[in-house]
Amino acid sequence: MEAVLRHLTNILELLAVSQTDRVSEWDHHTTLRAFKWAEYCEQLHSRFQSNLTVRSALESGLNDTNQRLQETLPSYSPVVFSELAQCQHMLLVHLLKNPSADNSVIQMLFTEAQESQFDQNSLITCKSAFNLLCRTLDRTNVSHAGLQAEAVVRGKLLGKLLNSVLSPSGNNEYARTLLDCILHDSAGKLENLYDIVAAALLSTNDETNSFTQHFILAWLRDRDGCFSKLCRSLSPGLCTVLSRQSSEFKQAYWAVLKQWASCLEYEVLESLWVPTSDEPVTFNMLTDRFKDLLNSGPPLKEETETELKTLRREDGDFNVKGINVWTDLIIQLKL
Amino acid sequence: MEAVSETDVQFWMAKAVNWGEATSCSAVLDTSRHLISLRSFLQQVLQGLQQMSSTSEAMKTFPFVGQFLGRLCWNPCVIADERSQRLLLRCLSCLYSAEPLNAVERKANMWIKNMLCHLVSDKEGSVAHATVKHAGLTPKRYHSEALQKVVALMTEEVIKSCDGLPNTSARCSNGSIHTMSAACVALATCPQMSPLIGALLKHSMLCGSSCLNPEFIKEVSEALISKRLVLEDEVVVNLWCYSPTCLEGAAVSLLESVLSDCETMAQSLDKHVIDSLLPRASAHHCHIFLTINEIYRNVLTEIDENLAVRALIQVFTACFLQSLNGQEPQDRLPLRAFFPHVMPSLLTPLLTAPSEVPREAWLDHLSWIRSLLQSVTENEEAGEDVRAYQAVFEAWFLLVQCGYWVDTAAELLVLAEPENAEPLLWLLTFFHHPTNRGHQRSQQTAVAREAWTHLRMLFLTRPPPPRHLSTVKELLSSSLSTNLVLHLFSNFAVFSHGPVSIITEITDKVLTEADVKHRALWILASIRCRLNSAATRNDRVHSRLSTLQDTLLQT
Repeated sequence: MEAVLRHLTNILELLAVSQTDRVSEWDHHTTLRAFKWAEYCEQLHSRFQSNLTVRSALESGLNDTNQRLQETLPSYSPVVFSELAQCQHMLLVHLLKNPSADNSVIQMLFTEAQESQFDQNSLITCKSAFNLLCRTLDRTNVSHAGLQAEAVVRGKLLGKLLNSVLSPSGNNEYARTLLDCILHDSAGKLENLYDIVAAALLSTNDETNSFTQHFILAWLRDRDGCFSKLCRSLSPGLCTVLSRQSSEFKQAYWAVLKQWASCLEYEVLESLWVPTSDEPVTFNMLTDRFKDLLNSGPPLKEETETELKTLRREDGDFNVKGINVWTDLIIQLKL
Repeated sequence: MEAVSETDVQFWMAKAVNWGEATSCSAVLDTSRHLISLRSFLQQVLQGLQQMSSTSEAMKTFPFVGQFLGRLCWNPCVIADERSQRLLLRCLSCLYSAEPLNAVERKANMWIKNMLCHLVSDKEGSVAHATVKHAGLTPKRYHSEALQKVVALMTEEVIKSCDGLPNTSARCSNGSIHTMSAACVALATCPQMSPLIGALLKHSMLCGSSCLNPEFIKEVSEALISKRLVLEDEVVVNLWCYSPTCLEGAAVSLLESVLSDCETMAQSLDKHVIDSLLPRASAHHCHIFLTINEIYRNVLTEIDENLAVRALIQVFTACFLQSLNGQEPQDRLPLRAFFPHVMPSLLTPLLTAPSEVPREAWLDHLSWIRSLLQSVTENEEAGEDVRAYQAVFEAWFLLVQCGYWVDTAAELLVLAEPENAEPLLWLLTFFHHPTNRGHQRSQQTAVAREAWTHLRMLFLTRPPPPRHLSTVKELLSSSLSTNLVLHLFSNFAVFSHGPVSIITEITDKVLTEADVKHRALWILASIRCRLNSAATRNDRVHSRLSTLQDTLLQT
């Protein structure tokens, strides 16, 4: 076990060095050895990813090394356990981006041997083929609940990943970390991520995968405001489809809609419901969302109607406009 | 010498700019239309770059190259094409300097490394990058699985669009099918693509309309022939039904592969022909059989002494008939449909295989065939009618197709009594000399009889009398009768009784020229195929056949 931890430390140091100018000290032989270490590291990942005890030990080892390296190399980006599956690729990209790296990596890439471990041809082909076909599919009039093909596929793959991670019990923490990392690494364009998460929810709809669905919803609700942001990002149509599919989603969605409604205040002068907080929610938005739910057909239609009427009753059961948002919604929706 | 012409450079540069990142339908269509010619242009560029001694020289000689390669690297339609991708990367490797000597070369190196980064990974900070990073797989496996999934989605759509009646508004319109097939042009050799390619081809069969991109058909056909793509048998047959060009390509490819490898074919011609799927496809689709026959017929008439082509035609027909017999009787088309031009009375005797006729009846059967054929030739001799000549040719071609009967006649001649030899010799003569130019038939029959007499003496007397050895050699060297004598000789060697050692002894003395040995191997190939389809295996004969083959293969 100690040996394995030492090896992991080695690899992280290698990866760290490959991003600095100290890599100029590497010659062809060193580079080859570095890739050998990276390959070994990938094997470690595949062997221990479902072994909870060993993995946690490795994870804490990684944490320690990450901390230490961050102190010595300020530009160092910490490596998490899940990334170890792509160690060789990480090393390759570091060397390609590092101007101080010598030419051996280029030599290895450009070698004519087709079956060499450095051959990137099938990766490049699959990646661009995937890109090309997703775009082609989007151009035909096929709709997957309004999602683009790329989101659908990445969502399915995410669902599949979570299924396999969550199958052995006690792995919830690891799965949460995975999703957290994906969220964190997605920097700006979170709408794309929400689409992928929605697709993952759609793909995990059968009985064998329902635990994954629960898990994803739980994770979304645990992250402050995440579920609300997701709902706002997804189209009303998509939210309706998800609500039909999962009553858990439906309840959570209603809760979000209720929360949005509570942010609206009646502006007497304008005779309008206007947002009060910085949540960019409007009355029309709420109307659209409920309209879509109501148009979806039984049983969701009836359930939504009932829910709206219950909410109106709980808030005073008014029939006049301008006092209660639920009343006004019901009037607007002509229920 | 200019490696690339200025006109070409301008043309392709304009194309690259126009295509951009292939985000529009028209860009994908245009790229796929030009993919084949783009590959040859890239090949020229590569050759030009390979002659440069440094990157600086390359940039001076080919100033367009950086921008051009860069733009193409951002076009997924080009990059997804295996061959173009390799050419692009090789061009990039030519531009990389192991020891950069100036700023231009250093900049080029950095640019190349950035380009490689872009090709192998997604942009950092993007959702794509994040999902791949934590997928617990190598990027190669992730993208391979992603590709499989998008292919599955597309395949599902194509299959669904076939479900409705022709006039219902299919979800997947013809335009969509065309677009999808255009996107597949670059990907014909990608193994994950076979379900989609199969579904697209099936769609074209079911829906009748030709809405597949023509470059798609071409690429798929080529990929199949070069074995870089594997599709289900049914899909391949669909392709042949859809595109006569593809069918012709497959037939010609079979012919070329057979002609190019005599040694392997002598061992397993029938297996090779069956593996090509052409016999089975022919049994199910009359027009396929007719097309293939037309092609092989034309080849035969151009080089009519070519025993290899005859062997192929013979084996192809035999495999086709086997396939046909394997069908349900109610599904079978009448034989007349497959052999429209030939005298109907010839069909039954010739298309019944020797393996279906008891051995004792062979002589009578062959006499029957002979009398039918003789009446056809006598008709021709009687008048100046072109149609009569045509009838002789058709009858002769049917005999070539059913060459197993000619081989049977030759086998019987080995042990025949002189009084029974006449019809067999006639058949053999007609087979090798169908025309009666200058009334040569009687002359040729005499040669046949002479050869037969000498061969009998050669193989039945121990030790082989030198007189007969030299006569047979003489007959072989006279170009008029080589094939006929060789045909007889091979059958004698295989089917006569007597020690196996004389085969080698006689063959070494009589068949000395490489060309003659080569031809003999083809005769053996068709004998072997006929023996393979017999009900029982005669070990003695097989071992003689192998001995003769080994002797011929020794240089």
